[in-house]
Amino acid sequence: MPGFSGGGVGGGVGVPASAPPRPFRPSRYVPVSAATTFLVGSTTLFFCFTCPWLSEYFSSVIPIYIAVIFLFTLANFCMATFMDPGVFPRAEEDEDKEDDFRAPLYKTVEIKGIQVRMKWCSTCRFYRPPRCSHCSVCDNCVEDFDHHCPWVNNCIGRRNYRHFFLFLLSLTTHIMNVFGFGLVYVLHHRQQLDTPHAAVTMAVMCVAGLFFVPVAGLTGFHMVLVARGRTTNEQVTGKFRGGVNPFTNGCMRNISHVLCSSQAPRYMGRRRSHQSVDVQPPFLRPPLTEAQLEAKVLDNGIQNDRHSTRSKSSLEQMESQSADAEPPPPPKPELRYPGLPRADTEESSLLTKAPTTPSMYKYRPPYNSPGRNHTALTHPNKMIRGDSLDSPSPSILQSSRQPSYRSEPNSLDGTTVVGGGAGARRGGGERGEGPGGSGGTAGVMPGGMSGYSLTGRSYTSYPSSLVLSTGGSHSSSLRSAHTAQNPLATLQSEGTTDTSYKSLANQTPRNGSLSYDSLLTPSESPEFESAAHELSPQKPRAPFPSATITGQREVVSPSSPLQGYTSPFLSAQIAQQREGQLLQGSATFSSPHRAYLRAVSPPPPPSGPPEIQHLLQLNHDSSSRAPRNLSSSSPLARSLEPPVSPPPRGLSLGKSQSNVGEAGPQHKPRASGGGIVLGGGGAGGGQQAPQSTSRPVLANHTPSRPGGGVKKVTGVGGTTYEISV
Amino acid sequence: MATEFHNLQELRHSASLANKVFIQRDYSEGTTCRFQTKFPSELESRIERTLFEDTVKTLNNYYAEAEKIGGQSYLEGCLACTTAYLIFLCMETRYEKVLKKIAKYIQEQNEKIFAPRGLLVTDPIERGMRVIEISIYEDRGSSGSSSGSSSVSGSTAR
Repeated sequence: MPGFSGGGVGGGVGVPASAPPRPFRPSRYVPVSAATTFLVGSTTLFFCFTCPWLSEYFSSVIPIYIAVIFLFTLANFCMATFMDPGVFPRAEEDEDKEDDFRAPLYKTVEIKGIQVRMKWCSTCRFYRPPRCSHCSVCDNCVEDFDHHCPWVNNCIGRRNYRHFFLFLLSLTTHIMNVFGFGLVYVLHHRQQLDTPHAAVTMAVMCVAGLFFVPVAGLTGFHMVLVARGRTTNEQVTGKFRGGVNPFTNGCMRNISHVLCSSQAPRYMGRRRSHQSVDVQPPFLRPPLTEAQLEAKVLDNGIQNDRHSTRSKSSLEQMESQSADAEPPPPPKPELRYPGLPRADTEESSLLTKAPTTPSMYKYRPPYNSPGRNHTALTHPNKMIRGDSLDSPSPSILQSSRQPSYRSEPNSLDGTTVVGGGAGARRGGGERGEGPGGSGGTAGVMPGGMSGYSLTGRSYTSYPSSLVLSTGGSHSSSLRSAHTAQNPLATLQSEGTTDTSYKSLANQTPRNGSLSYDSLLTPSESPEFESAAHELSPQKPRAPFPSATITGQREVVSPSSPLQGYTSPFLSAQIAQQREGQLLQGSATFSSPHRAYLRAVSPPPPPSGPPEIQHLLQLNHDSSSRAPRNLSSSSPLARSLEPPVSPPPRGLSLGKSQSNVGEAGPQHKPRASGGGIVLGGGGAGGGQQAPQSTSRPVLANHTPSRPGGGVKKVTGVGGTTYEISV
Repeated sequence: MATEFHNLQELRHSASLANKVFIQRDYSEGTTCRFQTKFPSELESRIERTLFEDTVKTLNNYYAEAEKIGGQSYLEGCLACTTAYLIFLCMETRYEKVLKKIAKYIQEQNEKIFAPRGLLVTDPIERGMRVIEISIYEDRGSSGSSSGSSSVSGSTAR
């Protein structure tokens, strides 16, 4: 039955959902045209050939009755076809800012005591309300999504389910009428079956009989669904098989809800009410409570710290751990990072409550505070995107907002592979798209994936696993793919608190924290795993590459909080900040990048670029203060750094910075900037080890293109930065 | 000249959007439209808790009234069926009527309560009824002076 209506099987091939003007696909209109033709055509023939005799022989009530039923069928058919099923408008940018890169793929809500997961829709950029699903054919999230019906070429959702249901009922009745009265006609004209009237009646009867079986079957199926208070989507995916349906209110209430409730309102195409209220200072303020005063005292002046006084214990924890100057990392990542057992309970307790109110800048460190060491944050991003170092893309903010990314590939059943879409989204623009484009419809690995083959190591195993994992359209499959690689991932994926990050999940099937771990340890998967393992017990937060680079102000202790979380944003800011600087030292930027790459390959040629030698000198001297040197040296230091241990890669970066003595805060942005660019090499550890110790894996890394004016660097979470050189 | 000075003064009292808070839906009772009455921490210094909660509770009541399945909605459905849904061309559905009431209520609340506190509540219908968006404005008292002076200089240049 579901197949009859098509569980998302539109008439045509799924379109690349990211293209806003969807191509005209005539194949989508074939079923609805056929249905319309059969319905209207057969009934018209029936009226022309059979009804005159019926009205004469019996009474004219019969054709009138048949006409009424037919009109009712047609009206409901039109409503089901043309009515907005309850499409959610895309969330605006400011709504999902807090969710970038760090928010989980799922949020749980408790509905009547039952845990229900809300999945992040990367196309529409919000957490899908319960019973909402994203239709791949229509490329919209639909409220109370039932299914996509090809026969009406429309999604069936909250607003038009009633019409669809009535259409089925009335169509069944109509078919029975036509068949029945046609039979009466034929039986009365047994001796005149060769007349055209009889022939037409028999043909109509055949058509009616042919369609009766599937239509009646579908009608019965939907009657059961209505009585049970389920949608087709829930029934087909087996959501409540053997479980309790939280959306049912009893048979009678369910039926009355479908048939008697008021028409739900449209969300799309509404006239926006013009806000005529002027907001003018001075503003009234309520009297501050003591707690608020205390919070203000503790506030280190950063705007976001107010947000961090939210009732998230993790936030407080992180703040207490981090140095004063460090930006408060978002709580979520911390929860997911090593220390998992603790994190899990916290996370689950947090999530099982009603969904928290996301605020726009909840986890975002202040962009405008120069004191913060944004460099560190930018560093890991670029580091992670070592593969794409040759083409930096615009700031993360821009990239994440680019509409050109491909939305997640929506599976036929309406669920979307978050990996693909969100990854593309996070990966930003073309950069994310480019490499990912080859990923094909799975969209699983937008540039993000290739970006993660950071340091030139061949992550053949990693990408393939990702492909496998992201091939599934369920996050569970994504997570499970990684369970083999990372037992910690399993831990996290259990239970309702799905710790996979939307952005990371989109790009890499790893769970949130582990993704960052894996980014931090850009070697083969097992290394990631081990890295994660090592990391978890040591630090509450997974060491972000950015965190290491964060050497920021002072030497970053290995257990410094993950600034990596904020890295995407900070890096964006930093990228913007440094654009000016980069323009000055553009040569430096490109060459160290290349130099780094070359450096990491085993024995860098002694006749290497002068920058490398210079960098070597700088590393040894550790006295260089020039921005150029710093930017060069830091990456080089990083490249020289042998793989101390997988996790500390980021840490080592930080150390390297401190070792090199690039302590000047004014230099930090540059250093980290350069470091970030080269960080893709992923060589942690800032010790000035000889270049030969650089991992041979880096040899695989393709050198960046000659600076053509713009470098694209991908950072954590798949954001790409374009740095003009 | 007088206009420039006037603009200066106006600009001096400009407010800029600083942050947005999103009140999420409360799904504890199913998919009926309800919003959480939990007081977000960002508003702690901006508005009294009770005022906020009253607003959200009133909105919840409105939505409950809109989605109520009773005599009126049943009659409306029957009427629609008998007229092959042509009645919707002339008549507004019950839900739409309540939505108009809600819009008026939100406007009123904004004028009386929220705007004086530098807040602005956006009708959730604009967000697909998923969130109530509250915009927080900050007083940027000194922001206008520079632009004001530039306009003054521009006029003198003339």
